[in-house]
Amino acid sequence: MSEDRPTRDPGGEASRPPAFRRLLGDAASALVFPLIAILISFVFGAIIMLLTGYDPIAAYGALFRGAFGSPLALGRTLLGATPLIFTGLAVAVAFRAGLFNIGGEGQFYIGSITAAVAGVYLGSLGVVGMVLALAACVLTGFLWGAIPGALKAYRGAHEVITTIMLNFVAILLATYLALNPFRSEGLVPGTEAIDLTARIPFIGLGLGRANYGFVFGLVAAVLVYLLLWRTKRGFEIRAVGLSPGAASYAGMGIGVNTVLALAIGGALAALGGGIEVLGVYGKMSIPFVTGLGFTGIGVALLGRNHPVGVVLGAVLFGGLAAGAQEMQFSTDVPLQLANVVGAIILLLVTATKLVELVVGKRARALASGTHLERGLGQ
Amino acid sequence: MEDLFGSFGALLASTIRNATPLIFAALGGMFSERSGVVNIGLEGLMLIAAFAGVVGAFISGSALVGLGFGLAAGLLFALIHALMCITFEADQIISGTAINLLALFGTGFVMVLIFGGGGTSPRVSGFKEVAIPLLSDIPLIGPALFNQSVLVYLMYALIPITWFVVYRTPFGLRLRATGEVPEAVDTAGVSVARMRYYGVALSGLLAAFGGVYLSMGILSAFTENMTIGRGFIALAALIFGRWNPIGAAGAALLFGFGLAVTFQAPQEALPLEFIQMIPYILTVVALAGFGGRAIAPAAIGRPYRKE
Repeated sequence: MSEDRPTRDPGGEASRPPAFRRLLGDAASALVFPLIAILISFVFGAIIMLLTGYDPIAAYGALFRGAFGSPLALGRTLLGATPLIFTGLAVAVAFRAGLFNIGGEGQFYIGSITAAVAGVYLGSLGVVGMVLALAACVLTGFLWGAIPGALKAYRGAHEVITTIMLNFVAILLATYLALNPFRSEGLVPGTEAIDLTARIPFIGLGLGRANYGFVFGLVAAVLVYLLLWRTKRGFEIRAVGLSPGAASYAGMGIGVNTVLALAIGGALAALGGGIEVLGVYGKMSIPFVTGLGFTGIGVALLGRNHPVGVVLGAVLFGGLAAGAQEMQFSTDVPLQLANVVGAIILLLVTATKLVELVVGKRARALASGTHLERGLGQ
Repeated sequence: MEDLFGSFGALLASTIRNATPLIFAALGGMFSERSGVVNIGLEGLMLIAAFAGVVGAFISGSALVGLGFGLAAGLLFALIHALMCITFEADQIISGTAINLLALFGTGFVMVLIFGGGGTSPRVSGFKEVAIPLLSDIPLIGPALFNQSVLVYLMYALIPITWFVVYRTPFGLRLRATGEVPEAVDTAGVSVARMRYYGVALSGLLAAFGGVYLSMGILSAFTENMTIGRGFIALAALIFGRWNPIGAAGAALLFGFGLAVTFQAPQEALPLEFIQMIPYILTVVALAGFGGRAIAPAAIGRPYRKE
C-alpha cells in the first residue's frame, strides 16, 4: 500500500510481513473503505424507498437478481461493466501520475465517433476492419488525451478544468461529425450501420448480448497493471505521481510522464467508446449514450485506482444498471433509484472523515489511493 | 433598417435571457471558489433548483412559492457538497461530480413519482416579463433590457452587490483570505470551516436563482436534464472572468450571446456545434495562459486541517 500514499510513510516497506500475506492484508484493507461507502449508500437508497412507499428488501432482491441471478442477468451486468472498465482505467492511470482525468466522457465520445466512422469504411474487411477501427480509437484517444497533458506539463493549465471543458468540445465535435459529414441516409440521426462481420462477437455461454469487449477490458486491466508496476515507464509515471520533486531529481521527465499518463488515459477511454460502438450499437446515433465517463470516475475511486479494483468497481456499477431494469419491472421502483444509489456511492467514496466515524482513526490510512494531496491553485 | 433593428433587439433580449442563469451560477460559483471550495456541481445545483421550483409552483400554483422551493433545494444540495468537502474532507472534484449525478438521477426519479413519467413536467405559472416604465421605452435596447422577468432585474442588481461584498466588506475580505491563506484566517480567530460553509451555501442559493429562472422564467415547465451543460458554461465564465464578479458576469454575457446566436443564426453560416464550443475553448486558452493567465485562489481544492 505504500505506493498509494503520496506524502506519508515513505519508509513503511521495511516492517512489512511476507509478500503473500501482505497482498491479502492490503486487499482486505483496500476493500474496507469502499465497502463502507457502498453499504451507507444502499442504506440511503433504502431510506428513500421507505419514504416514497416502496419495499426496499423486495427492490434490492430484484436488483440483485437482475444483476447476477441468471447467466442472462450476468451477461447484462458484464455488458454494462465493459465501457466502465475502460473509463475507470482512464482515471486510474492518470491518478497514478498524480493527475485527475475528468475527461473520460469526452475521450469516450472521441473513440465512439472514430470507431463509427472507421467501422463504416473498414467494415468490409471483417475482423481485420474491427481491429483497425479499435486501433484508430487508441490513436485518436491518445492524441486527444495528450492535449490536456501538454497544457498541464508545459503551460501549467490545471488538468481538472481543461479535461472538463474538453469533454464538451469532444461531445460537440463527435455530434457534428455524426450529424453532418458522416450522417447516414437513414431516419435515425447518426452514422451508417457497420457491417456485421466487423462487429465484436458475442461471448455466448448463455450470457445473452455480452460480447468479447468485456474480455478486452480484462486484458486492458492486465496490460495497465503490467505497464504501471512492471515497466520502467510505469515506475516513472508512479514516481511522478508520488513525488514530482524526487522524480525530477532522479532525472525523470515530469512533463513527458504527465503527457503520457493523460494520453494513455485518453486512449483507454476512447477504446471503451470504440468497443461500445462495435460491440453494442454498431453505429453512433445522436443522442448517444452519456455518463459512462463520469461513472468511470466512481469506478476508479471505488477500486482505489488499481486495475483489479477498477474491474470490480465496473462490475458493481454495471450490475446496478443491469439490475435496475429488473427492479423496475418487478417492484415498480423507478430504475433511476439505482443510479441515485450509484451517485451516493461516488459522493461518499472519498469522504475520509465520514468513514472515520465508523472505523475510527484507521480511516485516514484506508483512504489512501483516492486523495491527491494538492489543491487546484497554482 | 427596421428589420435590422428588430433582429438586433431580439438578439439582445435573447442574449440577456441566456446569460441570466449563467451569471447567477457564475456569481454563486465565485463565492464557493473564493472560499477555497471548488464547485463543479453548479450544473447539479441549477438542475435540482429548476426542478424543485416547478414542483413548488405545481403544488401551490404560485411562482413565488416555487422560487422558495427552488432556493431550498439549491441550498440543501450545496450543503451536502459543503458537508462532504469541508466536514468529511471528501475530494471536492468528486463530490461536485456526485452532486451533478445526484441531481440528474434524483430529478429523474422524483419526476416519475410526482408526474408519473420522465420527459417534461406539466406547465406551471412562471415569472412573467415586467416592463419597467420609461426605461423600457428607450429605443433599441429598452425592450431588450427592461422588459424582462424580475429575476433578470435581480441579476442586474447582484453584479455590483456581489462585487461590493467581495471587495469592500469584512466578510468579503475574510472569504477571499480563506481561499488564499486559510492558515492566516485561522490565526486571526475566524473559522475557516464556517467561511467555507457560507461560500458554498451562497453558491447554492445563487445557482438556484439561475435554475429557477431556466424552468420558470424562460420556460414554464421542467424538462429532464434541462440545464444541458449550463452549469459548466457558468464555471467556464467564472474562470474566464478570473474569479472576479464583473469579469465573470462579462464572460457569462459573452457566452449568453453565443447561446443566443446558436438559437438564431442559420446553420449554414457556421455549424452550431462549433459556436457552442467557444466558451469551453476560450476557457482552456485562458487557463493555458495565452493572453494573461487565469489563476485560481491559492488554497482552492484542499481541505483545511487545523494543525
